[in-house]
Amino acid sequence: MASTVIGAGITIDGEVTSDEDVVVQGTVRGKLTARDGVTVEHGAVVEADVNGGPLSVAGSITGNITSTDRVDLQPGARVIGNVKATRITIADGAQFKGNVDMDV
Amino acid sequence: MNGQADVTTIGRGTVVRGRVTGAASLEILGRVEGEVEVQGDLLLDAQGLAAANLSGRRVTIRGAVRGDVVASEAIVLEDGARVVGDVRAPRIAIAAGALVRGYVQTGDAVQPAGGRTRAQPVATPVQRPAASAASAPPRAPARTAPAPASAPSVAAPARPPAQSAAQAAQSSAQTTERITVPRHLTASAQPAATTSAPAASTTKGPPPPVVPVLKKGAKGAMTKKRG
Repeated sequence: MASTVIGAGITIDGEVTSDEDVVVQGTVRGKLTARDGVTVEHGAVVEADVNGGPLSVAGSITGNITSTDRVDLQPGARVIGNVKATRITIADGAQFKGNVDMDV
Repeated sequence: MNGQADVTTIGRGTVVRGRVTGAASLEILGRVEGEVEVQGDLLLDAQGLAAANLSGRRVTIRGAVRGDVVASEAIVLEDGARVVGDVRAPRIAIAAGALVRGYVQTGDAVQPAGGRTRAQPVATPVQRPAASAASAPPRAPARTAPAPASAPSVAAPARPPAQSAAQAAQSSAQTTERITVPRHLTASAQPAATTSAPAASTTKGPPPPVVPVLKKGAKGAMTKKRG
């Protein structure tokens, strides 16, 4: 219900661990781990390894991504790092540099 | 709570280790270990736990804090709040049912003590360079802070009642000496709490009241009591 929101204007240097949804609108540096979904919204900056469930990216991620579910890179997303997930979509207009590892 | 663009929420199932900074407002329903420094309002929910120094414009505490709480405008400690650490702000409200163990300072005295303007977040690191030099290490001593306070109470019964005053004074001096060391390390102004506690225990019988901040099940028992 009450999920975690890291709003615009907030910076977290360190480790974020969550059992619930995490929405990032601000900045996270370090490590981001969620059992549930992670949403990186437009304007958000994540300089961290991201582990979690379904991941939706419209902002910027620098770091490796591991998801137990799907990863969606939306238009405007900017991802530098390796992605490991069961399913990955990269929308037209998303920037991506890194390896993709899908469980084949 | 949800959908609000500029309110940051650290949810119930979320743990943050490290430093949280920014200009926005922050709600803590989960756990934070490290440091929180926001320019907006700060709310620590009844379920929230903070092993961190908290700083904000208006700070409202309903949960447990181990660390200093500083606000540039006001601090409100509501029923159920448990704070071990210093509390400093121009205005401070402590409601019935809130527990505090530490140095509390209100009003204009905040500015001279800080030696700076009312920009508290800036003034804090200047005031205590040792504490801010390494934000992580002080956490460990801070956690053990209750231990030295309770140490004299253990030592007191061990002393025979017919002991000479000189010996008693000697042992009390030893305990204060021992306690001085962690105080140096933490460099926090907890002296107020820690010095008064051993002094009271050596002069009188009963040990200092130990606030059961993070004791297992204590929170549940308290909430049950309150209904």
